[in-house]
Amino acid sequence: MSFTFSTFVQQIINGLSLGSVYALIAVGYSLVYSILLFSNFAHGGFLVVGGYACYYLLTQWGYSVPFSMLGALLASGLTAVVTERLAYKPIRERTPITLYLLIASMGVNIIIENLFVVTVGGRIRALPRSTFPTGVFNLWEGITISSSDVLSLVTAVIFLSLLQLFLSRTRWGLAIRAAACDIKTAGLMGVNVTFLISLVFFVAGVLAAVGGVFLSVRYSLYPQLGNITTKAFVAAVIGGLGSLPGAVAGSLILGLAEMLTAGFISSQMRDLVVYSLLVIMLLISPAGFFGKKISEKI
Amino acid sequence: MKSKFLALVLLFSLVSFSCSYAAEPIKIGEIATVTGDFAAYGVAEVESIKIAVAEINAAGGVLGRPLEVVMYDCRTRQEDMVNAARRLVEQDKVVAAIGPSGSGLCIAAAPVFNRGHVAHLGTLPTNPLVTIDESGKVRPYNFRICFLDPYQGAIMAQFAFKTLKAKTAAILYDVSSDYSQGQREFFIASFEKSGGKIIADEGFRGDDVDFRSQLTNIKDAGADVLIFPFMGKSLPLAVRQARELGIETSIVGGDGYGDFMWEISEDTLRNTYWVSHVDRYDPTLKEFFDKYLASAGTECQEFMNAVMAYDCVYWLKDAIERAGSTEPEKIRDALEKTKDLKLLHCVLTMDEYHNPKDKDGVILRCDPEQRKALFCEKIRPE
Repeated sequence: MSFTFSTFVQQIINGLSLGSVYALIAVGYSLVYSILLFSNFAHGGFLVVGGYACYYLLTQWGYSVPFSMLGALLASGLTAVVTERLAYKPIRERTPITLYLLIASMGVNIIIENLFVVTVGGRIRALPRSTFPTGVFNLWEGITISSSDVLSLVTAVIFLSLLQLFLSRTRWGLAIRAAACDIKTAGLMGVNVTFLISLVFFVAGVLAAVGGVFLSVRYSLYPQLGNITTKAFVAAVIGGLGSLPGAVAGSLILGLAEMLTAGFISSQMRDLVVYSLLVIMLLISPAGFFGKKISEKI
Repeated sequence: MKSKFLALVLLFSLVSFSCSYAAEPIKIGEIATVTGDFAAYGVAEVESIKIAVAEINAAGGVLGRPLEVVMYDCRTRQEDMVNAARRLVEQDKVVAAIGPSGSGLCIAAAPVFNRGHVAHLGTLPTNPLVTIDESGKVRPYNFRICFLDPYQGAIMAQFAFKTLKAKTAAILYDVSSDYSQGQREFFIASFEKSGGKIIADEGFRGDDVDFRSQLTNIKDAGADVLIFPFMGKSLPLAVRQARELGIETSIVGGDGYGDFMWEISEDTLRNTYWVSHVDRYDPTLKEFFDKYLASAGTECQEFMNAVMAYDCVYWLKDAIERAGSTEPEKIRDALEKTKDLKLLHCVLTMDEYHNPKDKDGVILRCDPEQRKALFCEKIRPE
């Protein structure tokens, strides 16, 4: 296999752009995990809701791109809040065992996926590309970067910075950080825990919608699109579940590992490497790069 | 006037009442990929089978009995395919089954149909192993209406080598699909036999959506032509990603083309060529596509699947009539003896391996201005 410097750079760009999409999804996972200590597998479902909301707002109702994006963010955010109220809250109030929440979230994911299969069909759709920039930039010596790559990277950075600002500079951000440390004590200190959890789910839903819209622009939209969150979940674990910088780092590592393996070793080894990386990480450092060292993780 | 109308209504309801009771419907099975990777193909098949069955029933049914379709979605997954086949054979007791288009799916369900002695007609499964087993023995209950991958591989190779004058080729294929692996193998064999050279050969796994690392390697190799022997949503994504990476060479693919690709690939489909079983704009097919539009409310995008599935119903009707019975074994025998049957897209004759004889392959060329795949060349490889 030929090895040239420009190929290497191109593969790095490919890896970073894939990693940035993983990051948007992985951060949502980690955010919920940091508060409730369970992996919310319905996250993939929220992402699909966002994708379809944007699709229908754009194509059926003819709204502008910013308005459709906003609609998608709201739709996913609200879906996440409603899911929490209907499916997780009753369980949370009855038992402290988070395993039940995890199982419920898997159920919710399947329900959302199949709701779309039944209502809009399994057809593959694409967001109208004329509404998003489509150009391809030639950087140097045949190295290219598409504007959807740039856009998803920039959006990922913007949304992750906004999240960081929200968490570090606002009162509710402080409350979320406190709850991530110890949710019971935070409750005793006067934080409205029910509202806080809804807020966290709303934010996670919004991030999922951003991921969903970008996945639909880059790839395409179909009810099983949420399956890509498996990779984002792996990324979140590698970075350390519950840690936001960890989720970003894990995502970039995963995106790079995937692309470099496919490019320089063998494209069929891609998933083998990704999941081996997960196993090795769990063997060496179960809490990931930035995770909290606690005994129970599901 | 009013009383006449009432009498007519009464007469009509009496006739339909007596029909529905006098003649028990003949149950035929259908398995389609309504969801999952091949959803677009499956939706077209379901719709066109509905049209064919409605036409046949309106014209008096088969052996004086109406047809009834029992449809299951196999979700483009082999395990669901096997379950669906089992339900059709064991519970619904259908007389024969039609679809889906995927080779891997049909191969997975073949043992079920053969054990249950129910004939299965594949709409577009092109892998040889659909109708013969690994030892080369014919699977007695498996049939198909389309040509095969060795033939398709040869068409692609001949088109690439002779028409496009390509000396070197790069391949991207789906390692998890029987269809894709087979087509790749047969393309390589014929292309190398003609004197061409394969200079890049990259694989991906069925559910992947990002092919840029493989395509980057392919770009480096700098081949004269790019071969895409796979189907489903990977196809438009791979075309688009190839163009985004600056690969402007001609792309030749198998029969996975469907008009759904335009929505995702848009004008990146320029300079792409696809093997097809039919020409979408053939005037003899116009009437069928008009019916499809009227019935489904949308233009028929996955036209190969639609035409094949439609013809499968008429093929089955012919076999049941020749068998003069709805016993699945007798229908199978009749299917095997199909000869010179005039269908919508071809004149069908079965060979000893349960494959159609002497079908032409068509190469379609994508035209970004009209957003259509137009007829380019008819090929029957030597």
